[in-house]
Amino acid sequence: MTMQPSATTAVELQKQLDELLERYKAERAPSEPALRVLHARYLGKEGEIRRRLTEALKAAPGPEKRAIGQIGNSIIAQAEAYFAECLSTIHTAARQADLARRVDVTLPGRAQRRGALHVLTQVRRELEGIFAELGFSVATGPQVETDFHNFEALAMPKDHPARDMQDTFYLQSAPPGGPSQGAQAGDGEQLLLRTHTSPVQIRTMLAHKPPVRIIAPGKVYRKDDDPTHAPMFQQIEGLCVDEGVTFADLKGTLLYFVQRFFGRNVGLRLRPSFFPFTEPSAEVDIECLFCQRSGCRTCKGSGYIEILGCGMVDPEVFRHVGYDDQKYSGFAFGTGLERMAMLRYGLSDLRQFFSGDVRVTQQFR
Amino acid sequence: MKISWNWLRELVELPPGTGPVEVATRLGLGGVAVDGIHAVGKDLSGLIVAEVRARRPHPKADKLTIVTVFDGQSETEVVCGAPNVPLPGDGGPGRRPRVVWARPGATLPSGMKLGVREVRGVSSPGMLCAEDELGISEDHGGILILSPDDGLEIGGDFAAGADLPDFVFELDITANRPDLLGHVGVARELAALLADQGARLRPLVTDLGATLASTDFGTKPAAELVQVELVDPLGCPRYLAHVVTGVTIGPSPLRQRLRLQRLGIRPRSNVVDATNLAMLLWGQPLHAFDLQALRGRRVMVRRARPGETLRTLDGADRQLAADDLVIADGERATALAGVMGGEDSEVRATTTDILLESAYFDPATVRRTARRFKLHTEGSHRFERGADPNAGVLHAAQSCVAQILKLAGGRLAPGCLDLYPEPRRPRQLALRPTRTDSIWGLQVPAEQQATALRRLGLLVEVGANEVLQVSVPTFRPDLSREIDLVEEVGRVHGLDKLTPTLPRLQVAPPAESTPGLRARHNAETARDICTALGLDEVILFSMVGPERLRLVGGPQAPTPLRLDNPLREELSALRTQLLPGLLDSMHHNLSHGLSEVRLFEVGEVFLPRPGELLPAEPTRVAGVLAGHREHLLKPGPADRLDVYDVRGMVEQLLAGLGYELLWAAPPAGPGAPHQVYVRAATTDETPWLHPGVAAAVVSAATGELLGSYGEVHPDLRQKLAIEAPILAFELSVPDFARPPRLYAAPSRFPAVTRDLSFFVDATVPAGDLIVTLHAAGEALLGEVQILEDYREAGHVPAGHKGLLFNLTYRLPDRTLVDEEVHKAHDRVVSHLKSRFTVQLR
Repeated sequence: MTMQPSATTAVELQKQLDELLERYKAERAPSEPALRVLHARYLGKEGEIRRRLTEALKAAPGPEKRAIGQIGNSIIAQAEAYFAECLSTIHTAARQADLARRVDVTLPGRAQRRGALHVLTQVRRELEGIFAELGFSVATGPQVETDFHNFEALAMPKDHPARDMQDTFYLQSAPPGGPSQGAQAGDGEQLLLRTHTSPVQIRTMLAHKPPVRIIAPGKVYRKDDDPTHAPMFQQIEGLCVDEGVTFADLKGTLLYFVQRFFGRNVGLRLRPSFFPFTEPSAEVDIECLFCQRSGCRTCKGSGYIEILGCGMVDPEVFRHVGYDDQKYSGFAFGTGLERMAMLRYGLSDLRQFFSGDVRVTQQFR
Repeated sequence: MKISWNWLRELVELPPGTGPVEVATRLGLGGVAVDGIHAVGKDLSGLIVAEVRARRPHPKADKLTIVTVFDGQSETEVVCGAPNVPLPGDGGPGRRPRVVWARPGATLPSGMKLGVREVRGVSSPGMLCAEDELGISEDHGGILILSPDDGLEIGGDFAAGADLPDFVFELDITANRPDLLGHVGVARELAALLADQGARLRPLVTDLGATLASTDFGTKPAAELVQVELVDPLGCPRYLAHVVTGVTIGPSPLRQRLRLQRLGIRPRSNVVDATNLAMLLWGQPLHAFDLQALRGRRVMVRRARPGETLRTLDGADRQLAADDLVIADGERATALAGVMGGEDSEVRATTTDILLESAYFDPATVRRTARRFKLHTEGSHRFERGADPNAGVLHAAQSCVAQILKLAGGRLAPGCLDLYPEPRRPRQLALRPTRTDSIWGLQVPAEQQATALRRLGLLVEVGANEVLQVSVPTFRPDLSREIDLVEEVGRVHGLDKLTPTLPRLQVAPPAESTPGLRARHNAETARDICTALGLDEVILFSMVGPERLRLVGGPQAPTPLRLDNPLREELSALRTQLLPGLLDSMHHNLSHGLSEVRLFEVGEVFLPRPGELLPAEPTRVAGVLAGHREHLLKPGPADRLDVYDVRGMVEQLLAGLGYELLWAAPPAGPGAPHQVYVRAATTDETPWLHPGVAAAVVSAATGELLGSYGEVHPDLRQKLAIEAPILAFELSVPDFARPPRLYAAPSRFPAVTRDLSFFVDATVPAGDLIVTLHAAGEALLGEVQILEDYREAGHVPAGHKGLLFNLTYRLPDRTLVDEEVHKAHDRVVSHLKSRFTVQLR
């Protein structure tokens, strides 16, 4: 018996597969996962369409396999096309639903926090930056100091009336026989809390030969406590030593600083003054920022505000650090960070800076 | 220092049109700071001196009086409300007291204009004035009563007679200029600063002999009336004594009294006022002793004897030290030299003979004594800064004697006693004009420099090579070196004439970094990280109460350095920890109604170092936090900050500061200096933290505690009156640089991850497990992440916790095959099982 290609088998198969396809379409999956489940059920390896096709191929005699294969491919292609169409519809609907979302843009955001640097830190960084432009690098030193570094080397020997300008906190000496507190200097001399940043000048010059060009910010201490004096405050001090440095250079340096910090149109004036560690010495006034020199409460009617003290390094100081005062000259200046901040931001009570009150800090965020 | 404008003008002739404001400006720009100018008795007009002729009570008011005054021409009745209206005969028979009568049309400093006024039915033309109404003092206790000795003419203009109006300059004299502590010095300075405009010093009559009449001299020489011995010429290089006998003590005339009052000194008696006026003129303090109170008629200038005491003018009994210089009589100390007189020898109403002391005391000696007794007097202020042993001592004494004779009568004993064993000579200095130019950056010709110095009273000759040979009078002790003269030239020349320049920049880069600088750099990094983490910076005092340090740091806290002279107990120790101050700030902020508070401070603490002169001042960063983490709208209980929020911040800080955070102590010996790990802290280490929520950050190299974090102990919170839970951390800011890092290219090959889930005893730290996983030595193992830590009862065996880790395996140079990963993971797991009892899931 010769096996003839069976038209009946092919037609039958076509019909069955068409039915399966119709059933597949009729099931209408509502979501992508459901659609994929459906897809697997009909078109997966074990899916009904595949399985039926595999059976038919297995059962069909060799010559018929090709025709059966063609029928199968066509049905599978239709089914896959349908699947892709459904998937696209579902995606489009989902995207549309997503795009229909509307938030209340006026609601406050999730409470994030950005901390604030203390206003004195901000001012200090700004000043350091300005002096960096002029080639000054930052130097530091200890806050607990010896009498030598704080006074003696700065031409303020014992019993010098200039020490009255700076009422000093002294440290208790170590109890006799007790553990060393580090508080006992040579000759039973008491250590102290530095009254100015000038000891940094001494330490820097003792450690380095000229040229020296430093800016020294730091905490200093004086026995004072009222709205314009706190027992601790911060100074920033500059020192420039080299051959041929003049007071005119000092004036130029300060003018640059004043105009960078307070504004290009702010002028300054120098008034001779006295500091034991500089000679000549001067105090520096800027034109009042609040009244354009017409006189107000801040400048006490003078039109000028005192902002810093300065001068040429005293030969006595050079002697203490072993510099040749005939070869080198230099200038030094110092001011209070609080004063700078008060002038810029209009604070009047210096103690506010150290109150630890975040309502102060947060204003300068 | 107060300076009278009127007095100044007696001493210096000012250019026309120069008023007090111009003078103040010029002084200021010349280096004499003027803190203020006060007008005294300004806008006075129509005030006349009137004699009181009679007084009767006001018919309708008990407290009012009707006073009959005489203005030299006629009598008028004025109604007065003062309680002290005098009667003729008050102050002695025949004496007729005088008052100041503001007549209708007069103006008072307050702006009040007087007219005729009805006072309770009695017409009163003008009024009788009290001192405050005249603008000469604050006194409103009664009307000003003048005595005929005040020298004011009846009917004369009161203002002119009383040296009014005047202006008082408040000068802030720097410590180097004792010469400016008297009117003569200020006048000299002003004349120099305004010389170009034509100011000139008026000649001062300083020769006492020329001013006195022969009747002013007594018969007995001073040396017979008193014996003066200078035992300690080091403490007192010059002692000059004059003796005046037969004085009559009484009040000074109004003019003198007002002048003293205006300059801040209370008038006392004619003799004492004379010493004070001479001091205000010359800057030289003087002291008048009651000669009869000086036992043995002797004066000795010596150091105090052991156990010696002295009752000073202020009534205080002083226990003297061996270093104190005293003026003694034949028996005992009777004045603290240069500081304050003694009560026993002070001039009193009954005094008739006086010894007038004008001396030069050693500045350091006076300063030590004044400081020891915490006395700051007009005398000590001047002597400490250095009086003038020559002209000052002499001229002040002479002008004072002349004044005493004039106001208190008496006779000057011939021959003053002047003990001056080693007279001070003017200092000789040389000034190179080129030096002036090179310091200031100016070019001033030598002759011009000489002129500037001469104007200040210095003697100058221009010598060879244009070098100035300068002789400095002893009233300028501050001018001792060439550089001091350089300053004087520039000062007189004017600093406004300097052209601003910038110093030459050198090629050499600045000095290399020091360890302190590195810590400082790291401190700035810490500030930036903390603010990025939402913390607000505070800067707090380095001084704290020792009690606070103990309260927070517990009994094991390091002993702080203490101040010898603190402002108060709460500021008496140097902090050894930042947290006590921050906790106080937290309390401050919470008590102001804030609830979300995150604070940090970066600053130094002070730790004594045995064997070192100075304490260590390491930098720390610390923070305290209260409130909630990020939340939407109203925060819920689950949003409350907890220890893992702080842990997250600490991780950021450690990484930013260059530390490498290990999961646990390195199993194979010490780690690198920058490596740290975290373990549970003991209560001894962190008594301020909750014992179960306390972590120690430990150096992997040394085991040293570098910091801590956790929840603040509830007991401590209670003591600090803080209700809300507080989290805290404190870390050392390293003084080393972060180790240099080199670039490592990221692997191009995919990693494989495996989960590992197991139960383990709840007390085993996760960090130890992670270290153990790594310690298996498996080269393929990269990161290990912990994904879950769950402990819900019923889901885990009792006393255990369930952990889920995620392990990443990768190779830098090729793709891994499954089999390799499988084997590696097995090896890691079996290593873990060999170290810990775990139940895999």
